[in-house]
Amino acid sequence: MAPATRHRANLPVRGIRRPNHPFAYVVSEPIKIDIWSDIACPWCYIGKRHLESGIASLGEDAPEVDITYHSFELAPDTPVDFEGSEVDFLAKHKGMPVERVQQMLEQVTGVAATAGLDYDFDALQHTKTLKAHELLHFAKEQGLQLELTERLLRAYFTEGRHVGRVDELVELGAEIGLDADAAREALDSGRYAAAVQADIAQAQAYGINGVPFFVIEGKYGISGAQPAEVFAQAIAQIAGERDGAAA
Amino acid sequence: MSDVAAASTTDAAAPAPFAMITGDPSAMVCEGDVCYIPGTEPGE
Repeated sequence: MAPATRHRANLPVRGIRRPNHPFAYVVSEPIKIDIWSDIACPWCYIGKRHLESGIASLGEDAPEVDITYHSFELAPDTPVDFEGSEVDFLAKHKGMPVERVQQMLEQVTGVAATAGLDYDFDALQHTKTLKAHELLHFAKEQGLQLELTERLLRAYFTEGRHVGRVDELVELGAEIGLDADAAREALDSGRYAAAVQADIAQAQAYGINGVPFFVIEGKYGISGAQPAEVFAQAIAQIAGERDGAAA
Repeated sequence: MSDVAAASTTDAAAPAPFAMITGDPSAMVCEGDVCYIPGTEPGE
């Protein structure tokens, strides 16, 4: 598995507070969180926000975490360019009843709003996410995977940007600090295609059929866009268990 | 909502090396082009 991207969730505490220990804080390794996700997955963005909120809710007791995103291509048969709306795609391309599609999108838009996300399915440009995943692997090598993940999700769900085209991906990557020429070379060469497929194969080996899917410390799995308190409770408990084991 | 202590191991069909934290059973996941609550039919 590729190296994790360090993430402190904007929290100042490096270790776990142990009030009854001779040392108020014990510097410990960050808690590792691996997340299988797709840019075209509305619940992945919501789950991302919930995870971040859950960690933030722990306040000073929050352990440092290392978050790594892994590729999961929800719909590999999606064309890069699809003329039409999300409703058109799901109704015409996939044969789902229009009314059901609209209900689905209204539901997810409402939940997204409660998470502070302004989804715009009318503007969304449905596309294949393979190249976006390749760029995320390139960004991981540059230590910018978390930044690019957030940028691509925002671009796709709230800005109506086309995240399937190389030119647009390069532009978005440059916005978060990737070298544009190097990013373009990474995409044109297909150098990271194997890494994307390795992530997908790992998910299959784990029995992961849907996303988002979170693996904490390689020992605990959490499926779906769980509420923030679920993530907070799990992370606090896992940190406590590890802290206890180290005592 | 359950916690880590209540986690159960994954079923035999999923050879994952981790225990599942159930959390909120109505948490949505996406599979293919649809998103749904696990245990229901996609699109419900």
